[in-house]
Amino acid sequence: MSTPALWDAVSAFITGFIVLNVIVGMVTYVTLLERKFAARMQSRIGPYRVGPHGLLQPIADALKLMMKEDVVPRDADRRVYNLAPIVFLVPCMLIFATLPFAPGLGIADLNIGILFFLAISAMEIVGLFMAGWGSNNKYALLSAMRAVNQIISYDLPFIFVALVPVLFTGSLRLSDIASAQAGLWYVAWFPLGTIAFVFYIVAILAAENRVPFDILEAESELIAGFRVEYSGMKFALIQLGEYAHMIGTSYLGALLFLGGWAGPWAELSPWWGALWFTLKAMFVFLVVTWIRWSFVRIRVDQILAISWKLLMPASLVLLLATAVAIARQGGVGG
Amino acid sequence: MARRLGESFWGDFFTLGGAVARAMKVTLINLIRRPVTVHYPDKTRSYPDRYRGLLALTYDKETGEENCIGCRLCEYICPPQVIKVEMLKAEKRNFAKTFTLELYACEFCELCVQVCPTDAIIMMKSFDLSTADRRELLLDKDRLHHIGLQFEPSWATGNLLRDMQTPPKAPRAEAEAGKVAEAGKAPTAKPGGGAE
Amino acid sequence: MDPEARKVIELGYGGSERLTMNMGPQHPSAHGVFRAILSLEGETVVGVDAVIGYLHRCHEKLGESLTYTQYPSIASKTDYVAAMTSELAYVRAAEMVGKIEVPKRAQYLRVIVAELQRIASHCLWLGTWCLDMGGALGGGATVFLYCIREREWVLDLFEALVGARLLYGFHQVGGTRYDVPAGWAQKVRETLGLIEKRLDEYEDMLEGNAFFLARTQDVGGISRELAQTVGISGPLIRGSGVSYDIRRLEPYSSYEDFDFKVPVETAGDCYARYRVRMVEFRESISIVRQALDGLPEGPVSSRPGVKSVGQVRIAKGEGYARVEGPRGEVGCYLISDGSAKPYRMKWRGASFSNLAVLPHILIGCKVADVVAIMGSVDPVFGEVDR
Repeated sequence: MSTPALWDAVSAFITGFIVLNVIVGMVTYVTLLERKFAARMQSRIGPYRVGPHGLLQPIADALKLMMKEDVVPRDADRRVYNLAPIVFLVPCMLIFATLPFAPGLGIADLNIGILFFLAISAMEIVGLFMAGWGSNNKYALLSAMRAVNQIISYDLPFIFVALVPVLFTGSLRLSDIASAQAGLWYVAWFPLGTIAFVFYIVAILAAENRVPFDILEAESELIAGFRVEYSGMKFALIQLGEYAHMIGTSYLGALLFLGGWAGPWAELSPWWGALWFTLKAMFVFLVVTWIRWSFVRIRVDQILAISWKLLMPASLVLLLATAVAIARQGGVGG
Repeated sequence: MARRLGESFWGDFFTLGGAVARAMKVTLINLIRRPVTVHYPDKTRSYPDRYRGLLALTYDKETGEENCIGCRLCEYICPPQVIKVEMLKAEKRNFAKTFTLELYACEFCELCVQVCPTDAIIMMKSFDLSTADRRELLLDKDRLHHIGLQFEPSWATGNLLRDMQTPPKAPRAEAEAGKVAEAGKAPTAKPGGGAE
Repeated sequence: MDPEARKVIELGYGGSERLTMNMGPQHPSAHGVFRAILSLEGETVVGVDAVIGYLHRCHEKLGESLTYTQYPSIASKTDYVAAMTSELAYVRAAEMVGKIEVPKRAQYLRVIVAELQRIASHCLWLGTWCLDMGGALGGGATVFLYCIREREWVLDLFEALVGARLLYGFHQVGGTRYDVPAGWAQKVRETLGLIEKRLDEYEDMLEGNAFFLARTQDVGGISRELAQTVGISGPLIRGSGVSYDIRRLEPYSSYEDFDFKVPVETAGDCYARYRVRMVEFRESISIVRQALDGLPEGPVSSRPGVKSVGQVRIAKGEGYARVEGPRGEVGCYLISDGSAKPYRMKWRGASFSNLAVLPHILIGCKVADVVAIMGSVDPVFGEVDR
């Protein structure tokens, strides 16, 4: 009786471990992808010397960060300061638990998958505020205050927009949402799906502190925002968490709107499905990066104005319209 | 061309949409353009004729003697005073006994080149002398001569520069053009040349 | 350790607790070394205390110890972003006091390089301003790299003319040191054509961009009365409705031969100053084209080429010469005692006087606006601290 349960626990642990390592590896190479993509948009080449065409650059960066001295400011609140990177990183890694990379390939396909994802991803704000507060630095404090404002304001439209595909599907389970798009991707369900996709991109720009909403780490004003006092491995953990969250929300966007694992040969083997899923997530990530490298940022009061006066009512109206449309079709499945 | 924000909601909305699309189009176009990076040091870009690079001392083309007569005009004109010269008197002409140039403090203003009466000190078309120790940039006479043989010289010499600036008198310009010491290129402009 | 420094500031909900934040001399958007001690209430600036002097290099004393032949190449180091106009101010002052004529060709060459320098300086201004507003990792960096790419083309032109890219030593008392090489005029025309096309691209990217407009409209407004009282000049005063351009008021170096508009905007905010500078780009391009077309033959200097350090002696007298630099009025006041060195030389730095307007316009704006305003004032601290 206990052996199958034990075996389940061990296999879940092993799967989780593998997925976590794959995600960490992917995160480091996504930084290289972003740097080269951004460089090409700016008429230059990105990392080039370390390894062929810069392919070993992320490894060099990781080694450098590991070897750096760990400096803790004398007046920093030690416990809060040291715990903050961990509290920031763990939710960002945990969101990958519910993502189904292919039919049958995922760690835990909860029947409230998307609820778990959204709830856990909002917990990173705690870690962020701990980092800003524990640093005993005015720049970090300002940044943390702005962060609390901004991320909370944008989590609400984020959730409302993520609910639109849920309404289309009629289930909170992420694998159901993906399989329901086998025929036509939700982004093509004009006009509701397309508008929802556009709002989703805006919401994740803000939830990820990407330009034009990156007021909280505004390099030219607050240097590095809440990260300013961190160095070495703690900084690496914060970066890891940020990019992991970024990729996680890109995966979610690909799943909710771009069909998840749907693609040629997906029926043959789950690995093809996982490949298409990853490519679509990278596409969402590149769209976000493209926007990031094209615009100047806006002020924090303007960011909040956009959220509360523009995005929130619009996403509520969108949700309502979706519900009306579904009801008129006579329920889900249309 | 500008509109004030805040005038109308839908106006602002469509302006925003249009602006977003235009800005993203510009970045996308640049994505496809060739990058302007030159892969230094594997490749170098081409330097123009008048490039003011490293300083060097020259030898006379015909006799092989050093051109420097130790007159110290360059030492006096140098604004940061990085040149130090000691004259060595000899029978037919004078030489420089020691000639030190502190390249780490040099401004590369080309004034020393301008005043040299014998075109002894010139500038090269290269700046490639980086080092980890600043003392290696305290150039003595041998190193300055060595630099003169190692790199490609730039167009400017004292006589050419002075001819370019002086209001035209007459035959001096042509005579000096024939006697250019190390500059391998013919002078590319004379005073009075018009624009193309 | 000072007990004051160890105090942790508690912020209550009343919002009446003030935070003193130092936008210190080492800061990515300080445009140089500038220290602004801001008193903040939440996000709003309620007090500003500006500290300068971090880049003081004793230029005025150097002016007394270096001769008229040595100092022009040092003069470029005051406003190092617009080196040609800085040198021009000094050399004009010496010529004014010594009553030295400058040949027509030299005057046209001076106009060409001054306007090309204005283009290069405004490229840098636009790039760094967007960099400050948009972040080093974001759209600001993109606009910055595009602008630097264009500026590199102009610097290539200077490199072909002079041999140096940033600090030139091009002017000398009596004219210029270098004449135009073969093929340079053609290269200049090609580069100007390319820059015009790229300017259209930038205006596309920024003009209708609601993010950009939101950051710059109604931010840092300088009223017309304030502009005339405080003593600012250049694009700052032209953005506030006063048409004041030294090239029109006291034409120097043959500027009266050229036909160009002086852009004036009335709004007085950052966006107005942006528009003024964008129009100045195009006007400078047009002036360079006119000068190249009309470049007369002749010598480039009315004095023989420099052969010794004490060659130029200026008669006794004093005088003040000013030029319209990209940042405003750059002036040089010279007292000569008849020898090869000035008795006293004083710089009027455009940025130094422009910074005087900061306490008036920074109060009441948000922290993010401080950065936008500093960028639109465009100080260069070589001029401020000398």
